[in-house]
Amino acid sequence: MSKTLKGITLKGSAELVAEFFSFGINSILYQRGIYPAETFTRVTQYDMSLHLTTDAKLKSYLTNVISQLKEWLFDCTVQKLVVVITCLETNEVLERWQFDIECEKTAKESSAPREKSIKAIQEEIRSVIRQITATVTFLPLLETACAFDLLIYTDKDLEVPEQWEESGPQLIDQSEEVRLRSFTTSIHKVNSMVAYKRTNSM
Amino acid sequence: MDDMEDTTIFSTLKSFKSLISGPDHSLLETEPAYGRSDLQKLYTKRVELEEAAERVRSHTSLLQLTQEKQQMELSHKRARIELEKEAHSSSRDLQREIDRNRELLLKIRRLEEKEEKANQALNEQMENNKALKRNLEELHKKANEKDRKLTEADQMISELKDETRRLNQKIQIQESKFSTQNLEIQALQEQLDVQRKYELPCTQTHTELERRLALQEQDSVIVRNMKSEMVRLPELEREIKRLREENAFLRETKENNSLLKEETEGLRKKLERVERVMEEKLKAELEKEVNSYTHTEDSLTLSDLSREVIQIQQRELNLKQQNYTLNSSIRSVEKARAELLPEIAQMRAKAQEEQKKRENQDSLVRRMQKRVLLLTKERDGMRAILESYDSELATSEYSPQLMFRVKEAEDMLQKVQAHNTEMEVRTTLPIMHTKSFLQIPALGQEMTFYLYTCMCLFFRQKIEELEAERQRLEEQNNILEMRLERHNLQGDYDPVKTKVIHLQMNPTSIAKQQHADEVEQLRLECQLLRDRIRKIEAGGGVTTDDTTLIIPPSQEILDLRKQMESAELKNQRLKEVFQKKIQEFRTACYVLTGYQIDITVENQYRLTSVYAEHMEDSLLFKSTGPVGSGSMQLLETDFSRTLTGLVDLHLFHQKSIPVFLSAVTIELFSRQTVT
Repeated sequence: MSKTLKGITLKGSAELVAEFFSFGINSILYQRGIYPAETFTRVTQYDMSLHLTTDAKLKSYLTNVISQLKEWLFDCTVQKLVVVITCLETNEVLERWQFDIECEKTAKESSAPREKSIKAIQEEIRSVIRQITATVTFLPLLETACAFDLLIYTDKDLEVPEQWEESGPQLIDQSEEVRLRSFTTSIHKVNSMVAYKRTNSM
Repeated sequence: MDDMEDTTIFSTLKSFKSLISGPDHSLLETEPAYGRSDLQKLYTKRVELEEAAERVRSHTSLLQLTQEKQQMELSHKRARIELEKEAHSSSRDLQREIDRNRELLLKIRRLEEKEEKANQALNEQMENNKALKRNLEELHKKANEKDRKLTEADQMISELKDETRRLNQKIQIQESKFSTQNLEIQALQEQLDVQRKYELPCTQTHTELERRLALQEQDSVIVRNMKSEMVRLPELEREIKRLREENAFLRETKENNSLLKEETEGLRKKLERVERVMEEKLKAELEKEVNSYTHTEDSLTLSDLSREVIQIQQRELNLKQQNYTLNSSIRSVEKARAELLPEIAQMRAKAQEEQKKRENQDSLVRRMQKRVLLLTKERDGMRAILESYDSELATSEYSPQLMFRVKEAEDMLQKVQAHNTEMEVRTTLPIMHTKSFLQIPALGQEMTFYLYTCMCLFFRQKIEELEAERQRLEEQNNILEMRLERHNLQGDYDPVKTKVIHLQMNPTSIAKQQHADEVEQLRLECQLLRDRIRKIEAGGGVTTDDTTLIIPPSQEILDLRKQMESAELKNQRLKEVFQKKIQEFRTACYVLTGYQIDITVENQYRLTSVYAEHMEDSLLFKSTGPVGSGSMQLLETDFSRTLTGLVDLHLFHQKSIPVFLSAVTIELFSRQTVT
């Protein structure tokens, strides 16, 4: 209904981006070993095999966040989504996966769909997720038990529901940053980057 | 030999043939002439000849045969020799063949061994091949992965290249801007050069005048300094007067001090003299008194003595007082002297300093005076030069025009300065300004060119400054952009416009909570265990107070429990099986032997017969001797008393329990069946 074959509407774009985040976050959790590998199953999406968690608590948390994020994407009030990976023992932030979201505000006013094929968007998303998988080669090993958190950067005046609270940006002390690929639906543009704590051996 | 023989044979044959043919002819020709005697002679001759021929023939045949025979023999020998040779050669060949065979066999063996080794090597190589193939496959996989990474890296590189292209385009645009600006600057410079050519001589005089102006300024500055220093002179003189007065005062005090010293010395000497005098007096008085005492011993009265003593004491007191006052006065004088001494030293030092200062000031004053003289001379000289210039330049006709020109030049200078300030604002339109400048009415070539050079120099300086500033600003801009990008990558945000939110119930906080709870639990457990251990060590036994913990059983304990349970089960089953078996056995014994054997007490066996009339009829046997020996004794029971006969017979006489038992069985059986 929203993802017409002809073009992309604001709602359709929000759904595409939310879907990407859902699979992207699952991939990150699987690749970095935050949750055990046996708690993930494989699904086919974007013409490739991706991992999806089967842990009920985690699933509910993710659906909660992603559904809220979809609303905010539709309102064009969200600026960034960050996946923060923290070491449980030392409470230090070890990795930060940051996705910048740029929204075309003009799409809110006009309701005409934009010309961009879904295939092209899926192709771009596929390359981003492949790159996320490939970053495992140069990221330092997470040897201690870690937990993750999802932060959302929004406009200051946005009204947030009760379950959401304000938090710090949880920056990494002495970080190395790598910029990854981006993809655009012609309404939303998502830039990805990863920052990790510099290890002393370097 | 043979040839010789052959040739003799042939020669004889030839001679024989010739003989035969000769006499034939001769015989035929001479037949009619000579008659029978000739014929008989001829015939005999012929016969002899034929015999001779036959002999010759046989001889030749013999010779031939012997020759043939010899030849045959020769050929035989030859053949034999050849055969022998052939045999030798064949034997040699045989041996050679045999040797070759052996060698070939050896070779074959060696080759077989080599073959085996080669096979082994082949197998090993096959295995190596397989391993290598596996490695290859792994390497292929790695290569594929690396290819993937390479493609992604290529993608990143392409992106970076795009960015570099964009940056290059920007750089090109800016470079074009630079070039246009450079062209404009070059045009300006060319104009400046053109103007310069006209201005060289003027600039030279201008520079000379400037130099002189600079010198004059320096001189004026020096003159000003001199003036200020000169102003200081009266102050210095006042100071000098003051110092001189102080000096005089100090000298007076010094004299006073010396006077005071002399007074103190005099006083001291007086004191000493007085003391000596006093002592002498005392001594004299004491002697007097002593004499008086010795003389007037009679007229001694206590009152007189007391009075004298009192007088003496009073005199002593007075003298002591005088002594004390003198001492105090001396001390005060000495104190004053001591105080005055450092003051004197200070004063002396000050006086010396003042003298030095005054000397310095005097030398400075002298130098200043000299410089003033020099400057005044120079100024006079400069004035003379300027007057001479004015006189040179000025003719009675042109001076007012020059003055007018100077005024106009000053006005132009001011206007030019205003223009320059405008130029600083509008850096892109220098040509317009120069044009506007050119449009200003021409005064005289000298002044305009002078102004042109000023403006050009000013422009140039401005351009350089602006270029440097621009470069600096660009670098700053790049640095700031890099910093911004870095901060953006690190996740910085503007708190005025953005806020960061997350769910309260997020996995990290839950995990931290769980972690903290675990840690707390472990701490409590540790604490309880420690307390328990302390109690155990103090008590020495396991107490079951409130310190009992539900320690989860360790694996060992669980295993042991399981083993125990299995052992118990086994036991149970064995018991059951044993029960069953023993039951079977007992019933079998009962059925087969006719007695039920019960063990009532240790080593006592109670036998009850199948055919017992009463339930209580039983025989008791006790086992004597070591266990397992089988020796039994019958014990008295009611039933056994009824069987005394059998007991006597079978047990006492026959000493056989089985017989006794079977006799009892028969007896009972007979009793039963009969009845």
